[in-house]
Amino acid sequence: MTNLWRKLTYHNGNGWWNLPHGPSNELNPPHEGPIGGVWLSNMFRTMTHGGVAHAGPGFYWLIGAALGIITLLEVWLFGVEGLGGWYVPLLLGLSALKFVGVVAFFMHLRFDHRMFTYVFVSAMALGILIFVIILFLAEFGHQPPNVF
Amino acid sequence: MWTFLGSDVMFFGAFIATYLVYRGKSLNGPYPSEILNIPITSVSTFVLLMSSLAMVLGLHYVKSGEKNKATLWILVVVVLGAVFMGFQFVEFREFAHLGLTPRTNIFGTTFFILTGIHGAHVTIGVLWMAFLAYGSHKGSLRADNAQDLEIAGLYWHFVDIVWIVIFTVIYLISATDGPPPGMESVIHG
Repeated sequence: MTNLWRKLTYHNGNGWWNLPHGPSNELNPPHEGPIGGVWLSNMFRTMTHGGVAHAGPGFYWLIGAALGIITLLEVWLFGVEGLGGWYVPLLLGLSALKFVGVVAFFMHLRFDHRMFTYVFVSAMALGILIFVIILFLAEFGHQPPNVF
Repeated sequence: MWTFLGSDVMFFGAFIATYLVYRGKSLNGPYPSEILNIPITSVSTFVLLMSSLAMVLGLHYVKSGEKNKATLWILVVVVLGAVFMGFQFVEFREFAHLGLTPRTNIFGTTFFILTGIHGAHVTIGVLWMAFLAYGSHKGSLRADNAQDLEIAGLYWHFVDIVWIVIFTVIYLISATDGPPPGMESVIHG
């Protein structure tokens, strides 16, 4: 039973779920950067003092502070009167910024084996497609009744 | 883990879409405008975001072989996760006290199912992190098998990004929702 548990949950080279050995296994892999082109990579290199792969704790604190500030901004927007039609797009934009911040800097998707990006992004695209279809059906198709 | 997260995206996507489809269609209260507490939920959102920060710091120190710092930061994840669960428990109890349960109206049903499933994910994550904190303390979680923590971290960050969406869609965007348009006079006489 113990062996079964170890095989299922441990990744020490003997388990059933061994993952491809990618740069993320290294302490100082050769590259890492957010999603985007050269200017983002350069900015990342500057902020991480040389851009040696995984960022240091200081950089993570910076990202954490940015995420906290965005949350504060969202709460502030909640109390602002007169935003009208701008309110929802602004909130969605800020939410997307936080989403991308966590995925790009904390989750290391760009940094893992490319297969994982394909798996996650295709599932995400399918999920968003289903999401949009449901909302379109609700908006332009048969309206769900007011229930209870 | 990425495959699982891909399936979980669709799982949560379906519940969030369902919430939006039925948004503003409850015929009886309490409505979101009467019950949602944005300041309290903002604090719990901040707590969950900071737990993600603690997670990457824990992973960094495991990879660099600094056992004590690694254990400390993984424990911080456990504590912040537990604090988030505490906030959710208090919120659910408060809502029940104010008369909102999953049976009260369609808002209650969709709200409790979505946030409850997210809370279940957080609970699993907290238990997982507690095991890993123990492993780090005992020395079985080291730089050479840091991938165990990295995989758990992916799960934890995912739980965080799902909450980012829930917080925006349910709490901030829906916080002013009242009765369906045209029903106010009917409902309130």
